[in-house]
Amino acid sequence: MKPLNYAILKYFTKVDEACADDVIEALKPEYGNFKMLKKPSVIEALMTAEQNGLIEESRFDMDDNGELRIFYHAHEEGKATINSYIKD
Amino acid sequence: MSERAMAVPASALEAKEQMTKAFRKKGIMFAVASGMCYGLYTAFMTQGMGSGIWLDWYGGAVSTFATIYTLSALGAATNDVFSAVWALIIAAIKGKLSDFGRSIKTKPGAVMMLAAVIGGPFASTCYVLGLQMAGSIIVPIAALNAAVGAILGKLLFKQNLTGKMILGIVICFGAAVLIGSTAFGDGVDFSGGTVLGMFAGLFAAIGWGVEGAVAGYGTAMIDYEIGITIRQCTSGVANVIILVPLLSLIGGDGIGSGISLIGQAFSDSPSIMFFVISGFFAVPAFSFWYKGNSMCGAALGMACNGMYAFWGPLACYLVIGLFFGVDGYAIPWQGWVGAVIMILGIFVLALAQNAAAKKEAN
Repeated sequence: MKPLNYAILKYFTKVDEACADDVIEALKPEYGNFKMLKKPSVIEALMTAEQNGLIEESRFDMDDNGELRIFYHAHEEGKATINSYIKD
Repeated sequence: MSERAMAVPASALEAKEQMTKAFRKKGIMFAVASGMCYGLYTAFMTQGMGSGIWLDWYGGAVSTFATIYTLSALGAATNDVFSAVWALIIAAIKGKLSDFGRSIKTKPGAVMMLAAVIGGPFASTCYVLGLQMAGSIIVPIAALNAAVGAILGKLLFKQNLTGKMILGIVICFGAAVLIGSTAFGDGVDFSGGTVLGMFAGLFAAIGWGVEGAVAGYGTAMIDYEIGITIRQCTSGVANVIILVPLLSLIGGDGIGSGISLIGQAFSDSPSIMFFVISGFFAVPAFSFWYKGNSMCGAALGMACNGMYAFWGPLACYLVIGLFFGVDGYAIPWQGWVGAVIMILGIFVLALAQNAAAKKEAN
């Protein structure tokens, strides 16, 4: 099992794009009991990863609940960096 | 931004702008708070090193070498060990202890440890060495750490660094020089020892710059509260096991003397409470620094943190001067004016970075 932040980043190397809800849904089976697997924390982790060039924003819209939903995508360089630091 | 984004409703665009603004504001708040906590940690550590057995030591109970070098490292060691305990407690309360164990065995964990050793024992020792050899002239030299961090952020992590951002950094640096200038002596002589001391100050600036940029980037991978636990455990262990005994050995006092000093420092009840408190404030001083740097980039994060040049003397004045009634901690006008100039520099830097980020997004 990886630290939660690693698992969040690693997830982006395996999907084309994802938003915070997608990340939470995907990691729930393994990390469901983690206090930090909450939407505000995950959004902050994604924005920090974006700020540091690991992932980039691909699109955004409003979800059915009228909440902002930002999708992110790991470009090739970001994927390579994530994979070099975080092994499977 | 893709064409798909252009088609989203205005409400989404507005919500995203607000979210981005809130994120940046939070990053700046973390970085500024880190400087404040740095001031508090410094004040309580200084008070600890001026109480109990420390008074005997500084009064001549140990060798001259130990008074100059070993005691400084011992102060840092005592603080960092308590800080590591606090960091472990906080990580446990927040349910992050298991992730701490998993993180230290990984590459980002190793990078954080390396950053901790460079910024902790290495840079701190260089700083103390510099102060002893060249005097207060090295205070502004060490304040160059923000500029070093910004340059490293640009070179290593491709962070923004525009001309206007450099102007902001220069203003902050000028303010740090003004604040530190009150500690200058009657003049600086450029003897061999002074020059060596100035180099030591430069190494401290480089060490802290490396730590801020690298650990800030590392915080994009490792949670900041796990990052600080790694930092304080590494720094505490390195200071206690390596640095203090090593300095005792170099000073000709023998390793046994260093170990004895450690034992006495940790069992001295009049001073220990101050180290418990300083260790507590050292946790946010560094973890908020890492988090602030990771949220707003090393340039802006380190400039906001750099206000410790003002918060440090202010906290010493409030804690040691006012609360404990020790004379000589009042802040001269240069301190207040420097703080205002520094805020101006941070403002220039923040606006310039905002403009650079917007330009990049378009």
